[in-house]
Amino acid sequence: MLKQKNVYMIIVLMLTLSMLLVGCAKTEEVATEEGEEEVTISFWHAYSEVEIEKLETVVIPAFEAANPNIKVEALTVPYDEFRRKLMTSIAGGTAPDLIRADIIWVPEFAYMGALAKLDEVMPDFDTYKEAVFPGPLSTNFLKDHYYGLPLDTNTRILIYNMQMFKDAGIEVPPATMDEFLTDCEKIKALGEDKYCFADGGTYAWAVNPWIWSFGGDITDEDITVASGYLNGESTETAYEYLKNLVDLGYIHPGILGGGVDAWGGFGNNEIAMLLEGPWFTPLFSGSLGTDYGYAPMPAGTGGSISVVGGEDIVMFQQSQHKEEAAEFIRFMLSEDTQLAMAETGQIPVIQSLLDSDYIKNHDYFGHFLEQLLTAKARTPHPKWTKIEEIYTLAGGEYLTGEKSFEDAFNAASESIDGLLVLPE
Amino acid sequence: MKINKKKQQVFSAYLFILPGLILYLVFLIYPILKAFQMSFYEWSIMPGEINKFVGLANYGRAFSDPIVGLSLRNTILYTVVTVPGQMILALFVALLLNTITKGKVFFRVVYYIPVVTSWVIVSLLFKYLFQSPKGIINYMLVNVLHVIQEPIPWLRAASTAFIPILALGIWKGIGWTMVILLSALQTIPPELYEVAEIDGANGWQKLTKITLPLIRPTLVFTFVMLMIGGFNVFISVVMITNGGPLQKTEVILSYLYHQAFDFLDFGYGSALSFLLALIIATLSYLQIRFLRKPEELA
Repeated sequence: MLKQKNVYMIIVLMLTLSMLLVGCAKTEEVATEEGEEEVTISFWHAYSEVEIEKLETVVIPAFEAANPNIKVEALTVPYDEFRRKLMTSIAGGTAPDLIRADIIWVPEFAYMGALAKLDEVMPDFDTYKEAVFPGPLSTNFLKDHYYGLPLDTNTRILIYNMQMFKDAGIEVPPATMDEFLTDCEKIKALGEDKYCFADGGTYAWAVNPWIWSFGGDITDEDITVASGYLNGESTETAYEYLKNLVDLGYIHPGILGGGVDAWGGFGNNEIAMLLEGPWFTPLFSGSLGTDYGYAPMPAGTGGSISVVGGEDIVMFQQSQHKEEAAEFIRFMLSEDTQLAMAETGQIPVIQSLLDSDYIKNHDYFGHFLEQLLTAKARTPHPKWTKIEEIYTLAGGEYLTGEKSFEDAFNAASESIDGLLVLPE
Repeated sequence: MKINKKKQQVFSAYLFILPGLILYLVFLIYPILKAFQMSFYEWSIMPGEINKFVGLANYGRAFSDPIVGLSLRNTILYTVVTVPGQMILALFVALLLNTITKGKVFFRVVYYIPVVTSWVIVSLLFKYLFQSPKGIINYMLVNVLHVIQEPIPWLRAASTAFIPILALGIWKGIGWTMVILLSALQTIPPELYEVAEIDGANGWQKLTKITLPLIRPTLVFTFVMLMIGGFNVFISVVMITNGGPLQKTEVILSYLYHQAFDFLDFGYGSALSFLLALIIATLSYLQIRFLRKPEELA
């Protein structure tokens, strides 16, 4: 009787424990036949469909073939959830070994102390440092150390709908802000539900090209103060220009909130122009039979200046396999891998590839590479997320007409000034 | 070793609740205590970092933060609109289903389907329905019903952006309330209605004098549960407006989520969650205290 009870008790206890311990399971290192230990490294990314296929069928298998003792566990995390999921796992001590991070996240992660100093972990770091473009590389730098290496770079250029341009009688895409305005007038004449331009909101990725092209900026060059820049005269001109376009119905009202199906509208000949990155071509690929062309960001008084995007590969301090992870970084930055990923629309970051036939003869990379010559990066600062939130809101308040430019942006600049100073 | 029968039974009872109890402690009680601790600190998410004790500063900050006031107002608005909305419509449906004889199961399933669908999916669906200028709702209102001339910019205007969230809250909640009320209706003995009919009572009198008083405990129960649910509105807000435009549709949970997971201000986020918990606990206590009759408080 008692014995039977004991058996039950053991079963219940085992079930209980197993429920609890499942979550704590750790991937064991297994010895391969050669006696070498097999190591699994985790790599989180937010690659798109086309890119994932290349990564999983070409890049990772090639790496694993070259490094039989290293397995790469790639995990796709949607961009919008990426930062949150990552934060949770850092707090829990279960950060991945490597991630492909938006360039704008790196200063924050580095500042938190979450990232490994790549220039200390990789003895051959200088080789890579010199091989990549300096612009994208700079996004990995914080206080005397490099915390990552660039993986790919991009920028936004004007994509225009050829059919709508033809209907409106526009022959060449607008080169200046004035031309952009007159072209918008012609597009609007096509119908009340036709829009000249669309973007998803007033966040940095959307508004910064306009601010910079009008000669404005978010902060001074040394990133110490926003007042006088974000609420400066040139920035005001840029926002006034945008507000005018919104008020006239030239920009799709989705920019004010609620978003917009920009690609759908573009494909249905309802939206004439978009600012897009190099992923547009392989993903959109004229699925609706829309012909489109490429043009630089229209130039204002500050020139034609777009925003630099892209991703860095960074290693976490919590990684137990730093050497193996570094090996994967080296592989991702090899010419072969960079070219393989280039086929999916990822612009390589290796300088030597710029002269390769592939890049030279590429269908559309040329347009983006040209824009990249003048493109600027968003403020590389550990408090970036908060900074961006503040002026995204101010932009919305001004564009919807809820507040005057002064009211919205003086307050925003003041709050950002406070964030820029970091406690030592 | 000899244990008497009684003790053995008690022991095995504990043994059987042990798995559930451990899960409850690990996944509910521990996080709650941890969050309570965090709310007094400037909490760093890096393991091993020293966290700065700030006392009640996070709580103090909540009282001077205008968005907290706004999100509290929105949370209350959501509760005040969706709780009666769900209860009245659910009661109506339950009364209808209680009287029909054919297709009862079918309609019960139809009304219950929204309850079992995923919040995320129906939120996206509602966002899609309320698109502007070319959403289905606008199309119905402008082109089919001709109620309005111009499409309404639902999600763009602060004044209308909350409407899809309210509509979703009511639509999705009717089924659950309906099932609970229906089961209560079925416990009412039919003789009572027969007697009332003989005495010449009309339908309205039967509803107010027999039905409602007899299902009163159930009504109070659903009221309390729906109110707690209303204060916890979160997924639909994050998915449909994400607090926008210009933070005008932020509710307490979405706002504290942004504070904690976007700006990594876990101390402030935790403090907000405890303030919300305090409000819910107080309201629930008051409801039960004043709405239940002493004989129902068993």
